[in-house]
Amino acid sequence: MGLIDKNLSLRNRRKLILGIFDDEDKLMDASSALVHEGVHIQDVYTPYPVHGLDRIIGVKRSNLSVVAFLCGLTGFSLACLMIWYMYVYDWPMNIGNKPERFTPSWIPIMFESTVLCTAYGMGFFFFIRNRLLHGIQPELLHDRQTDDTMVICIETGDGVNESKIVDIMRSKGATEVRERNGGVQTTI
Amino acid sequence: MAHGHHIEIVQEQFSVPAKAKTISIILAVVGLILTGVGFAFLGDSNSASHSKATAHTEATHEAAGHHDDAATHEVAGHEAAGHEMEHGNVQTEKFGPRIDIQSISHPPMVRFWASLLIIGYYLLLISLAALMFVAIQYIANAGWSAAVKRVPEAIYTFVPVAFLVVFAVILIAKNDLYHWAHYEHLGLKKGDAGFDHILAGKSGFLNTGMLLAFPTILAIIFVLIGRKLRSLSKAEDAADKGETRFFKKSIRWSAAFAVLYGFTLSVIVWLYIMSLDAHWFSTIFGVYNFATGWVSALTCIGLFVIYLKSQGYLKLVSDEHVHDLGKFMFAFSIFWTYIWISQYLLIWYAHIPEEMSYYQIRYENYKPYFLVNLVLNFITPFLVLMMRNAKRNRWVLAIAGTLMLVGHYNDIWLMVMPGVYGPGQNISILDIGLLLFFAGVFMYWVLIALTKMGLVAVNHPYIEESAHHDVGV
Repeated sequence: MGLIDKNLSLRNRRKLILGIFDDEDKLMDASSALVHEGVHIQDVYTPYPVHGLDRIIGVKRSNLSVVAFLCGLTGFSLACLMIWYMYVYDWPMNIGNKPERFTPSWIPIMFESTVLCTAYGMGFFFFIRNRLLHGIQPELLHDRQTDDTMVICIETGDGVNESKIVDIMRSKGATEVRERNGGVQTTI
Repeated sequence: MAHGHHIEIVQEQFSVPAKAKTISIILAVVGLILTGVGFAFLGDSNSASHSKATAHTEATHEAAGHHDDAATHEVAGHEAAGHEMEHGNVQTEKFGPRIDIQSISHPPMVRFWASLLIIGYYLLLISLAALMFVAIQYIANAGWSAAVKRVPEAIYTFVPVAFLVVFAVILIAKNDLYHWAHYEHLGLKKGDAGFDHILAGKSGFLNTGMLLAFPTILAIIFVLIGRKLRSLSKAEDAADKGETRFFKKSIRWSAAFAVLYGFTLSVIVWLYIMSLDAHWFSTIFGVYNFATGWVSALTCIGLFVIYLKSQGYLKLVSDEHVHDLGKFMFAFSIFWTYIWISQYLLIWYAHIPEEMSYYQIRYENYKPYFLVNLVLNFITPFLVLMMRNAKRNRWVLAIAGTLMLVGHYNDIWLMVMPGVYGPGQNISILDIGLLLFFAGVFMYWVLIALTKMGLVAVNHPYIEESAHHDVGV
């Protein structure tokens, strides 16, 4: 698993079945029905967070909090190093006759640096992992998937019963079911 | 909404389990016994320094009268030290210039009143913050908390009791606890020996009338608003499904309360606690005490919710709600630390003797308490509650919460005791006794209050949302 999640990229997919929905309840019903039938849902694209969907399609807990902790630790260490270098090693200064070694006056800098590195680190890693960082070409499955349309994306392959998937999606209220083959979409 | 599994909103009627009754009664009785034992030792601790010690209970004025001389000397001593600070050689040791802080002797009973002030004030902060919690949920139109709302609603019924404890202590022992009140009692004029220009300058605000009247009027208003909110809640339960009239009314009352509480809690804190060190002041002290009360109230709410869950009540409350309460406990522990360190840091950095006296005594004469404060109120919640799994584990949450409650008691103890006595006090068997006694009374009171209404706000507009609350994977 690299820095950029290749699993999230659609470029190398052989064949995808897309269920287009316009209602989150229908989407959730369809998703749980599909999962119930043992279908692996590649991903679901929604313009806003749909609560409970992550549990249904089995999204694993993100490691972002570990990243946050490590970034925070980095920020904390950087602050310690910086203060030590500037204030103790390179150019000791007498400010209000306060001691040079660790004092409460170091705390705000450590705190700020920790928070800064955590916030920026989390932000960057979040965008990189989601392929949303500036410069990464976005891959849209539907023109309105960032507006008011939701898309269930299933990769077909050996042992996947395509007609059953299409039936379930239709019966659960998909407005449209599409097939995506080599980047070309056709309605089925 | 309401996708997938449908959750039935059913009213639950709580009845206090016999075991809980027994435990709270045992706590209270053990507390009383320890308090009694503490009383037996009361004479000893002060007899060395205060040979004239008498065991008056009610004759505070007399007691105040007969050590007038000592106190005048005390005030004069402070004044002299102050002058030395301004004009003499400034010592710069680790903690900067020093003020000679002397131990103050009081009649033995004062130790009891001080201890009672601490626990009464602690519970007052907690129960007021619980009311604020309810108010904030209304104002913010918060959905997630509708399922746990009855718990803070029960906790804030303790406001009148806690207030009466504090008020009684102040009525009886204010001249001993507050040296400014004693000073006011002396009635010194400018030019008299022992005249204190700082206290004289503050007397427009810091006077007995203010101390007695201001918090009392506010407490009465707070209690009335609390009762109003509870009665609206009760009426909502009895109303038809979908009736939002009571909810909207509650928002208005909550807004009124929040504004009043926000502006006046600081004043109550200045009068009750900050004025124990009447020469000293800190502009962040109100927020600091708010943080103490708020995080303790969130912890109490968490503990009661965990308890009710363990007894099979609150079926709508899932791990998600408990997780959110855990987040609150974690986040506001850090908020408390932030405020605590802010007050410390500015005073440490500014290096001004009259500000530093507060920390000088607390750091040099009460170092264990000072450090325990940091360990229990910051390091424990920070390390224990940082992990997601810890916040979803009720046992971890309960243990961390109990430690935090003890830690914040220690925090308030450290605000009060050095202010009243100067150096030389320790958390005694009397303090522990009163803490246990009031823990038992508080538990019993809140559990009984929980039986007065259904445990589920069945007609709350957001109860569905709360039932389906989900913080995600």
